[in-house]
Amino acid sequence: MGADMRNRTILALGEAHMRGVIAHVTTTPNAHMRFWIITMMLVLVGLSTLKLR
Amino acid sequence: MLFELTKWLATDVHGFHVFNYITFRAVLATLTALAISFMVGPAMIRKLTEYKVGQAVRDDGPQTHLVKAGTPTMGGALILVAISVSTLLWGNLHNRFIWVVLITTLGFGAVGWVDDYRKVVYKNPKGLSAKEKYFWQSVVGLGVAAFLYATATTPVETTLIVPFFKHLVFPLSAAGFIVLTYLVIVGSSNAVNLTDGLDGLATLPTVMVGSALAIFSYVAGHAVFSKYLGIPYVAGASELMVFCAAMAGAGLGFLWFNAYPAEVFMGDVGALALGAALGVVAVIVRQEIVLFIMGGVFVIETFSVAAQVLYFKYTKKMTGTGKRIFLMAPLHHHYEQKGWKETQVVVRFWIITMMLVLVGLSTLKLR
Repeated sequence: MGADMRNRTILALGEAHMRGVIAHVTTTPNAHMRFWIITMMLVLVGLSTLKLR
Repeated sequence: MLFELTKWLATDVHGFHVFNYITFRAVLATLTALAISFMVGPAMIRKLTEYKVGQAVRDDGPQTHLVKAGTPTMGGALILVAISVSTLLWGNLHNRFIWVVLITTLGFGAVGWVDDYRKVVYKNPKGLSAKEKYFWQSVVGLGVAAFLYATATTPVETTLIVPFFKHLVFPLSAAGFIVLTYLVIVGSSNAVNLTDGLDGLATLPTVMVGSALAIFSYVAGHAVFSKYLGIPYVAGASELMVFCAAMAGAGLGFLWFNAYPAEVFMGDVGALALGAALGVVAVIVRQEIVLFIMGGVFVIETFSVAAQVLYFKYTKKMTGTGKRIFLMAPLHHHYEQKGWKETQVVVRFWIITMMLVLVGLSTLKLR
């Protein structure tokens, strides 16, 4: 117990989209657009299930 | 190349027959182009920064863009590498259309590369002179147009199709076809180039229009679907779906780095090539007018520049003082001057393109 269990966070700030912004790696629009790109890729994977079965 | 390998392997292992499906190879082409962009992108941006291949910002553009000076440009080379490698891996290399679109894309990319190189080396935002640029674009554009006419196997490949009207078609003469094809390819190339003035503004519309053209290619090259939907059947055009899918993947991968605030610009090497690619695919699948609709943002940006210049010259001649229609041309700068944030202009133009692409896709059914 004690020190190791205190105040540990997985991400700099939840939700995931805040992490890059807080860490000054990305800006808000940059984070938005990159999440959109990920969604587009996932939609493509979803659509591919029409053919791949 | 991998398509050839899988065809050979399919003779022994039945599972490899899945690679015969164009749709499956299109998905793989997208993922391959994405992977190349993600893997090569960061290293390429580092190298471009190291070699000081930085964008020289227009001195007559918006003041807010001065901070962009020095951002690496010529990132379009990454798109071209991703498209070419992916298409060569997953496309059927015995298909003439694949080679036509690849050569057109790389040809216009070469013109853009020279333009960017001069801008970077000589620090001159104007780059290649307009005459030189149009000359080399015309050489490639006319060459491709003549080749497509000479190798057309059916009359429909040289017929102008009017969307929304099932029986309204115009068979074109050799001159008519070559002129139309030239205008579509060169016009589309320059239109995308003019649009590429804000972070990500040209990239996603290119991906969206390219994805829609992938669907048109698939349908145009499918005897049953094309007959059912009443659109021209162009044998072999389905293979262009692989190319369009690679373009979409490469564009999305590039957008990762090009989204506001951009870490890299595509430059003319990317914009001229992508525009020409859209144009030549639209010509092959006989959907030039639909491209005009779906690429409405590119079209309106081009018209805004033409209108601004002509109106300025006309009023200067008539009154002695040049007047402007827009606060600044191209149109995206007009909205920036009106107070819209750069990201607002970009995302709103994307939304408009999405709607126009839906209108374009509706022509598949509505005729």
